[in-house]
Amino acid sequence: MNKPLAASVLWLLAAVPGHAAELIVQVKDHGKPVSDAVVLAMPTDAKNLLRSKLPADAVDQVDKQFVPYVKPVYVGSRVRFPNSDNIRHQVYSFSSAKKFELPLYAGATAAPVVFDKPGVVVLGCNIHDWMIGYIYVADTPFFAKTEGAGTVTLSDLPPGEYTVRVWHPSMAEHAEESTARRLTLSADAPATLEWALSLKPIFRVPRVSTSGASVY
Amino acid sequence: MLGAVPYAARSDWTLGAEASLRHDSNVGNSAAPSDVVGDSTLGAKLSMSNLFPLGEDYSLTVGGDLRGELFRTLTGLNNASVEGVLSLKRKWGYGAFAPWARLGLTVGRSSYDASYRNAWDYRVSAATGWRVDERLNIWAEYAFDRLAAATQEQEVPSLSGDAFSQTSHNIQLNAEYALSERSFVNLGLSGRHGDVVSTTQGDSQIIAAARALAEDPAFGPESYAYRIGGTSFGFRAGIHFSPTPHCLLGVGFERLITHADGGTDYNKSIPEITWDYRF
Repeated sequence: MNKPLAASVLWLLAAVPGHAAELIVQVKDHGKPVSDAVVLAMPTDAKNLLRSKLPADAVDQVDKQFVPYVKPVYVGSRVRFPNSDNIRHQVYSFSSAKKFELPLYAGATAAPVVFDKPGVVVLGCNIHDWMIGYIYVADTPFFAKTEGAGTVTLSDLPPGEYTVRVWHPSMAEHAEESTARRLTLSADAPATLEWALSLKPIFRVPRVSTSGASVY
Repeated sequence: MLGAVPYAARSDWTLGAEASLRHDSNVGNSAAPSDVVGDSTLGAKLSMSNLFPLGEDYSLTVGGDLRGELFRTLTGLNNASVEGVLSLKRKWGYGAFAPWARLGLTVGRSSYDASYRNAWDYRVSAATGWRVDERLNIWAEYAFDRLAAATQEQEVPSLSGDAFSQTSHNIQLNAEYALSERSFVNLGLSGRHGDVVSTTQGDSQIIAAARALAEDPAFGPESYAYRIGGTSFGFRAGIHFSPTPHCLLGVGFERLITHADGGTDYNKSIPEITWDYRF
């Protein structure tokens, strides 16, 4: 059996209940649950990175906001940017992980964008300055995002050794590396991890300002 | 109303609404304490605008406002106005942190209960600003303002009755600083040079300095409005809170000091509560 085929078989076996590991993560900031934190599990064994198909991803624009606010995707993913508002948007990013611009458009007419480099991509709209969103381009297929309770479960992980880390838009730059922890996951029982982060206060550009620039 | 415009234009209309409750400690811009009249007003404004991108750097905005103002005591000053706005904006770069400049042209018409105050308003402005970071936003504006009202009956020989028309040069410096994700303070300095209208009892000094004079019964049966030249300086501060992303509640205070011709120096304070909503 050649190596890629063996890895694929391992992956399929891991995906079968009873052969996969599970990781339950809780993220807090000064005791409060943190939503929109991206939890990434990087297997030490690179063959576990194989994945047969990249899912289709999308970041919508609803009520002049990016939805979701934080979107984790696997490197190489094609992301669509449908516009559900009844006004046009001009989506762009200056981030080193992906620089792009979608000229002013309405509906679902914009071409998908391929995110082919790991890192954080900050999204903006050149018409509506308060619109901000994040795409986290993960270097591992094993990731998920915390919801309101600050928890997330990573399921169907191939058993083995992992480095797990956390990223959040309010973290200081390069702070993600300091969150890294190593652990070994087995199919016997779910593992649990908890992070206590110190997040910066969020100051977002207000939609309504005294400058009058919001309307004119 | 939106349904009546073509689809291409309808797609980018932005709507806004504002309401305010304010108190002007010296509505008539009077110098003598016996003439000073304070009053409270309830104001409302509806705005709509449409943005047309012109290439990568420029955008043209066409908009309009409907405003109304009700006075608690001086009901002759109750007014409604409509205005159209055309502005050309340039941004040097993309996003919220790109410096910008804007040229604006506004034409409006005001209608008062005291109809002799009805006027056309023509305003040309130039503004520039820069959001320094997520917390600090600064901008400045210069405006030339021309208020054209009907000439009233001449009260004094050789003195025009065109007391309610005004021409002025205005400058503002403003800053907003975020206190939290949902609140910010704003500070502003203003200067204004040009005509002011002071409703006061006549004396030899103001009559000698007046460019025009007219009866102003909105302030009482024996009140006269004098148009004189003056320079005003103002300071404004406020704190604002967004209970929702669309809504902004504010409490503010403005202090204005005017040095006018003929020794007609006056000042006023304007505390206010405001509510803004952007759809």
